[in-house]
Amino acid sequence: MNRSLLPALGLAALPLLAILALGFVPLMVVVVWSFWSWDPVTYWIRPDMSLAAYVAILDAGRWTVILSTLAKALVTALLCLLIGWPTAYAVHFLAGRRLSLVLLALMTIPFFTSYLIRSFSWRLVLGRTGVINTLLIEAGLIAKPLDWLLFSDFAVVIGLVASYLPFATFPLILSMRRVDPVTMQAARDLGAGFWTMLRTVLVPLTFPGLFAGFLFVFVMVAGSSTEVQMLGGAGASIVTVMINDVMRVANYPLAFAISTVVLVVIFGLVLAGNARFGLARLFGEGGA
Amino acid sequence: MAISIQIETVTRAFGPVRAVDDVSLEIRAGEFFTLLGSSGCGKSTLLKLIGGFDAPTGGRIAFDGRDMAGIPANRRPVNTVFQSLGLFPHMTVAENVGYGLRLKGLRGAALSARIDSALEMVELGGFGPRDVNLLSGGQRQRVALARALVMEPGILLLDEPLTGLDERLRQQMRDEFGRLHKRTGATFILVTHNQDEALSLSDRMAVMHRGRLEQIDAPARFFEAPANAFVARFVGIDTLLTHQGVIREGDATHALIAGEKVPVRIGGPAEPAESVVALRPDRLLLHPHSEIELKNALALRLKVVETRYRGLHHDVTLAFADGQRVVVSLEADQPVPAPGDLVSVGLKPGGAMLISNAGLPAAA
Ligand SMILES: Nc1ncnc2c1ncn2[C@@H]1O[C@H](COP(=O)(O)OP(=O)(O)OP(=O)(O)O)[C@@H](O)[C@H]1O
Ligand SMILES: [Mg+2]
Repeated sequence: MNRSLLPALGLAALPLLAILALGFVPLMVVVVWSFWSWDPVTYWIRPDMSLAAYVAILDAGRWTVILSTLAKALVTALLCLLIGWPTAYAVHFLAGRRLSLVLLALMTIPFFTSYLIRSFSWRLVLGRTGVINTLLIEAGLIAKPLDWLLFSDFAVVIGLVASYLPFATFPLILSMRRVDPVTMQAARDLGAGFWTMLRTVLVPLTFPGLFAGFLFVFVMVAGSSTEVQMLGGAGASIVTVMINDVMRVANYPLAFAISTVVLVVIFGLVLAGNARFGLARLFGEGGA
Repeated sequence: MAISIQIETVTRAFGPVRAVDDVSLEIRAGEFFTLLGSSGCGKSTLLKLIGGFDAPTGGRIAFDGRDMAGIPANRRPVNTVFQSLGLFPHMTVAENVGYGLRLKGLRGAALSARIDSALEMVELGGFGPRDVNLLSGGQRQRVALARALVMEPGILLLDEPLTGLDERLRQQMRDEFGRLHKRTGATFILVTHNQDEALSLSDRMAVMHRGRLEQIDAPARFFEAPANAFVARFVGIDTLLTHQGVIREGDATHALIAGEKVPVRIGGPAEPAESVVALRPDRLLLHPHSEIELKNALALRLKVVETRYRGLHHDVTLAFADGQRVVVSLEADQPVPAPGDLVSVGLKPGGAMLISNAGLPAAA
């Protein structure tokens, strides 16, 4: 080994160990335990190499919960990008220094209250006697309240977008900061109209931010529970809620198997996205 | 398809700062025009106004007489080589160069032929598939140049396209600009603070200072008749002397400097009270003291302060009786006068000019 590398390695060893201990090891434990089996006698798990937990996922509609969770995560992440990108554009390119600071501060306001309170407040907006229905009825647009506004997937997605939008907006702002504005002028100079410039220059240059934002929101939704519990319809579930239920009856291998499936999906996304967009480019200097 | 540019009383103010201040300028179709000025004087800002990346806060810009107000950059017949290039980092060299042509609908073999010939022109043949981020500074500059040239614009704006290149490449590219200008026939506007480039390439040039154009002229005129002290300094006429009065006798005009009557040429409409005498170093001839007997009417009697060996010549610093100094060069094989000697300096016609003292720091 190169001698000069040794001190650097020594310096990196501790944080590396911390990352392994705090992040990687628990994940590996989850994966390994998902193959163990549950002993109803001891109410605990014992070492095994069984796929029983994975088979159990197929029971009782658990697959559909996983799929609908991934679908919600996908839809929410895409909506957040759709709203977050123009927001980031406005903050970075249109607003002056002071206004952009104010806008950034406004964006963090959702974090001032708990997810619980925030989700609950949507009930007051979307409910049968909520703000929207009241307004629509008073305006004479509808005769009776819209039922699907609350306790529906619609309400859940609204709540999720509202909760996690900043996780998309901030990486997008970060990626726009890294765009040399002269490239945008150059595109205009060479004949691109505003939209063509966006499509051919600014959007491609913010791919790392789009991907990071997508991933953050996706992961947050995959681990969320409050929004579904507060805003979802009867029988609505999401992975986290399901895992909770399974844990309550101490079926740990099943809980871990569900987690492993979600983990594999997210990990696949990270790998695919990184290969395509280079997540590292959002932070590093290395070749924009 | 060269295009003429009319700039009429154009101002661009950023709050209290007038980056471009009441500039009027007519650039002829097909002209090679150079904007010369020190850092921060507003050159890039003026280019951005012409390119349509910024709008003037006052005045009017027209191309071939057509007012350009409200016409966005992408619809102007102008292409720009930006000071910081603005290459597209997510595209290859060829994609960068072909960007504008693709927007015009060019595809396939026709497109690649145009790209290749543009790359050949800037000596980057075969670089098409390369990653622009991995090129050297000079190569990147040439990609930016090819990207603009390939559009065959009626007006080409070049914002310091040669800074940062090594000397050899710089000269090579400079000559290339001259050739490209002839070949394309387009109107070129070059921004630079390098005098060499300006002098060797331009049909006309302008010296800019604090947002204003101090002088607009053919290159030679800046040496024959600098508009004022700032311009003289800028083009390298460093010797600017204050005088005690101006005497007119018939056609001839003399300025009194520390008792010496110096024949001067009137450069412009300078008020005697607000004028200085600019001495052109190339029109001063140093004679050894013994030749003072020549009784040349155009000779000045000055005292040697110091001499400095410069390789191919000596720099001799001379002082007038009142202490004002002038540096004259002396061929290396000539006898060098000693400090304290009185020498006579011959003044060739046009060597001394009476010009406005505008732009001179108050202390001088
Ligand atoms: N967007 C802006 N906002 C505020 N001030 C600006 C802006 N752009 C330019 N300026 C100011 O206008 C003046 C002229 O700037 P400009 O970039 O035109 O200079 P320049 O002549 O191109 O200088 P250089 O040779 O260093 O490129 C500077 O004082 C600069 O600070
Ligand atoms: Mg500039």
